[in-house]
Amino acid sequence: MTVSVAAKLRNKSRAPKFLLAVPAIIWYLVFFALPIAFIVLYSFGAKDTTKLLPVDLSKLSTNSYSAVFDETFFKTFRATLRISIVATIMCVVIGLPVAYFAAFKVAEKWKAIILAAVVVPSFTSFLIRTVAWRIPLAPNGTLSKWLIDLGFIGSDGIQVLETATAVQIAIVYNYLGFMILPLFVALDRIDVRMREASKDLGAGRLATFFGVTMPLAGPGIIAGVLLTFIPMCGDYVTATVLGGAKGNMIGAMIASQFSGAQNWPLGSAMAILMIGAVLLTLIVGAAIFWVFPRVAILASPLVQLVRRKMHEREENKFRSEKIQTRVKRELLSKLLGVWTVLVLVFLFVPILLVILHSFNAGSSFTIWSGRTSVKWWGELFDGAEMLGVLIRFAVLIGIGILAQSYFKNKSYVARSVKVWITTGAFAVALIVNGLITNWYRTIFDFAGIGDAIRNSFIAAFGATVIAVIIGGMSGVALARRPGGWTKFFMATVFLILVTPEIMDAIALVTWFPRIKDVPLIGVIFSSGWGPFNGGINKLWVGQSLYASAVVTLIVRARLSGLDESLEEAAGDLGAPPARAFRQITLPLIASAMVAGGLLSFALCLDNAVISTLLSEAGSTTFPVALLGATRSTIKPFWGVGAVLLFVVTLGALWFLAVILRRGGDSASKIAATFTGS
Amino acid sequence: MSNEKKQLKMLAPEGFREKLSRRAFLQGGTALAGFALVAAACGSSDGDSADSGEATGEGLATGDWSRVINQSSGTLAMYTWGDYNDPELVGALAASTLNVTMKVDYYASNEDLITKLATSGGASGFDIVVPTGPYIPQMIEKGLIQKLDKSLIPNMVNVDPNYLAQAWDPTNDYSVCKNWGTTGYFYDSTKISKELTTWQDFIDTCMGEASGNCAVIDAAPNYAGMWFWANGINWNTEKPEDLDACEKFLVEEFAQHIKAFDSYPSTKLAEGAYSIAMAWNGDARQAYTRIEEAGGNPEDWKWVLGAPNTELWMDNYCVAAGAPNAEAAHAWINWDLIPEVSIKDLQYHGYHTGMKNMSTLITEVAPDLVKGDMIFFGDDQVATMQTQVITPALDRLIDILNKSKAKAGG
Repeated sequence: MTVSVAAKLRNKSRAPKFLLAVPAIIWYLVFFALPIAFIVLYSFGAKDTTKLLPVDLSKLSTNSYSAVFDETFFKTFRATLRISIVATIMCVVIGLPVAYFAAFKVAEKWKAIILAAVVVPSFTSFLIRTVAWRIPLAPNGTLSKWLIDLGFIGSDGIQVLETATAVQIAIVYNYLGFMILPLFVALDRIDVRMREASKDLGAGRLATFFGVTMPLAGPGIIAGVLLTFIPMCGDYVTATVLGGAKGNMIGAMIASQFSGAQNWPLGSAMAILMIGAVLLTLIVGAAIFWVFPRVAILASPLVQLVRRKMHEREENKFRSEKIQTRVKRELLSKLLGVWTVLVLVFLFVPILLVILHSFNAGSSFTIWSGRTSVKWWGELFDGAEMLGVLIRFAVLIGIGILAQSYFKNKSYVARSVKVWITTGAFAVALIVNGLITNWYRTIFDFAGIGDAIRNSFIAAFGATVIAVIIGGMSGVALARRPGGWTKFFMATVFLILVTPEIMDAIALVTWFPRIKDVPLIGVIFSSGWGPFNGGINKLWVGQSLYASAVVTLIVRARLSGLDESLEEAAGDLGAPPARAFRQITLPLIASAMVAGGLLSFALCLDNAVISTLLSEAGSTTFPVALLGATRSTIKPFWGVGAVLLFVVTLGALWFLAVILRRGGDSASKIAATFTGS
Repeated sequence: MSNEKKQLKMLAPEGFREKLSRRAFLQGGTALAGFALVAAACGSSDGDSADSGEATGEGLATGDWSRVINQSSGTLAMYTWGDYNDPELVGALAASTLNVTMKVDYYASNEDLITKLATSGGASGFDIVVPTGPYIPQMIEKGLIQKLDKSLIPNMVNVDPNYLAQAWDPTNDYSVCKNWGTTGYFYDSTKISKELTTWQDFIDTCMGEASGNCAVIDAAPNYAGMWFWANGINWNTEKPEDLDACEKFLVEEFAQHIKAFDSYPSTKLAEGAYSIAMAWNGDARQAYTRIEEAGGNPEDWKWVLGAPNTELWMDNYCVAAGAPNAEAAHAWINWDLIPEVSIKDLQYHGYHTGMKNMSTLITEVAPDLVKGDMIFFGDDQVATMQTQVITPALDRLIDILNKSKAKAGG
């Protein structure tokens, strides 16, 4: 009796099921569904450059679609899919041994180091790393000259730049980290006893790998494929920087329809067909994934026969060759280790080149003049101001560290406070310096790099806050208040995830001029009210879409693993829902929100495609400014700017890792946090 | 008169050169030097004009040069073409002389610029934009740029009348010439055996010896223009048969040989990515420096002005509609029209800035200018240059470029 009363009370106290997801629903409606709907509409219009927005919607037709199916454009579609599929497969092939090595073959400490080495390059500007590939690949470059001298290649040098091969190399490079991390997390979660059981039951190493490890790692592979394949399809930076005419990809072509050719209908049609192509490829991929094991089963009697025979043979040899097997196994470990080292070198080469070329004395970043110069770095230390800034930083952080060690053993200070002292000092130093000086602005004032770095952080921070709030709430709602709305909402989230960035970008860029017609939000945006001023607000919107979808999924996954009994218990003990949420639910999802926030922040900080189309004079971020510079000659000071941005980002990451480690997380757990699993 | 001229010429340059040595210029003494110059130049006014190599024939004297510097304040945002102003002018010098903090962003085409301004609904935040002449009428019509306040730009008198009152803005109410240039190509004579002189040579080489190793400018009018010029057709043609023939050739026969659509090939030329590239004259001139830095031999590279015809484009300073700091925008434009400032920019980007008495200015302010033949063109050369006119055919040209890009990728 009492139980049912309590349950009734609980139900009464519940608001409508999807209430927590309302902010996300409104956000996605206004900034995703409606803009995309307009793209769909545009795709049936006609180009009319006499209008301010160059689309004539008076006579709708499907002309644009038939133009896309024209053989010439279709080729670029095929080339894009080919490059993306090949790159995804290569990422799996290159990344799997690394993840396997890190997960099974090394000690905990080394795991952390390998993972850090995989993650760190991803936090250097995506664009500068891509540009850096021009250095080793240049036909007149140093590497090329060595190879010619050694007689490996002809006198023309390395002929890779401005081809699809260059794009292929760089795209694998750019996305490899996003493949290795989820693979590692999935492999690391596999209970070693499963593998041992498989071996005890007589399975060979290969059989164990394909029969036990791979199926268990399946979700990781799927996550990795989604994290790499979809962005690759929409990638336009890599193709623009390295591809030339032969390595053109559809993302660049769509972008050029919108700005260069002012042909919005054709661009819209291309974008819609592109989403279709991405979805189709994923479906085909999923079908292969589904069919393959089932087809393999057909051959199972044969396999078992072979396996039994092999097993017998192994049994016979077992004792005599035990030592040999161990040698073999060690050899395998060594090979995996060598492979991992090679992959890490591959990941770091462009970054080292960026650092080296920031000391280039010449007038171009990519062309090594043969002489070093500190003139670009010297710009940073121009005058006493920089010194003052450094001193303030050192003093404040020093005080933070001292205070932390002083309070270390004092029980009257809560542990949670202690952890934040140094971080707090860093933040205070950043704010103090920002308020009393203009130091960031004077960094390469002629190129606006200081401002661009500042804008990048403001934009990424704002977008992350939005993503964490709306993503977190809808994640909770999905896990705790499922209902009829869940399917629609999940479909929207999935659609946001698979929509290539360039499509969001064009949808928003064509949507913002119309936004003033939307009640409330339109007023906020068009009147430039409060924080929604100066163009940064558009970047928050654009960058928050993908990020919030990621946070939603992470939070939902975290909560669906835990049943609701804790919250219910709190309710039974008389806690009102708000309190139960604050004291029970929030702590449960905190780590998932941190993870989601971190991933969002990294993605937003590097965002070039959406930001380039949406940015205005006051909101140019580092990637936007650098993309602008790639249109003519990139000067060496961009290297300095990229290194600066890298150092600041790394500092932030390091603090976070320290906090997580203080919390007692292992390297694997930290990695899991970083990938949001 | 002649004697007087000589005397003045001997006196004036010393004063000029001393005060205008790069160093002094950079140390923020522009304003002072400027005023000193007014005094110095006034004395020499009559003498120099007769000596002027420019074909103005107006007898406008150096003494009429205006060097007014409008002080301003706040942030000035310029949206312009890549690498289009001397960074030294844009940075600390702008702050010290004009009292503005500059922000510069870059676009890759006039259409990019128009899209950015149009989609932000007059709130793009940019103050100065630099469209190419023929695009100005549609920008006026769409309300993307505002009328200039000419009283704030007294230095407009320094601009050679030849570069004012152009067809797209006959009264210069909206725009003033920033600089102009032309199109040609640049090739490695160690890789290409033939001596090249015309657009037809360029096309033949791209399809022959340099197949798969050539770059063309990523702009529809230039790309199609190359074929029109080679075939003696005006590049502003609207005749369907011309456009059809152009499309047939460029898409079906030519595109497959292209390595890249690249509007700024200078750096990539130095990297060794192309052996021949269509280029704007200033960018090709910069390639010489880059090639030297990369350890190549600049002497191996040859610049060819497009022939029998080629283009003449002019980029113009305009003030964006809704500019947050229109006053500073005018101050900048006015400042950049001071002859010495203009010449400093010219030395950096390598395009003719349209100043009066250009040859005198160069001898006096920039005597060590190299490759001047890639900046200044003789009357006979200028006579072969055609200005673009925006016609309905432009859509067709863009279509041809797009199709060629798709074709080149195969």
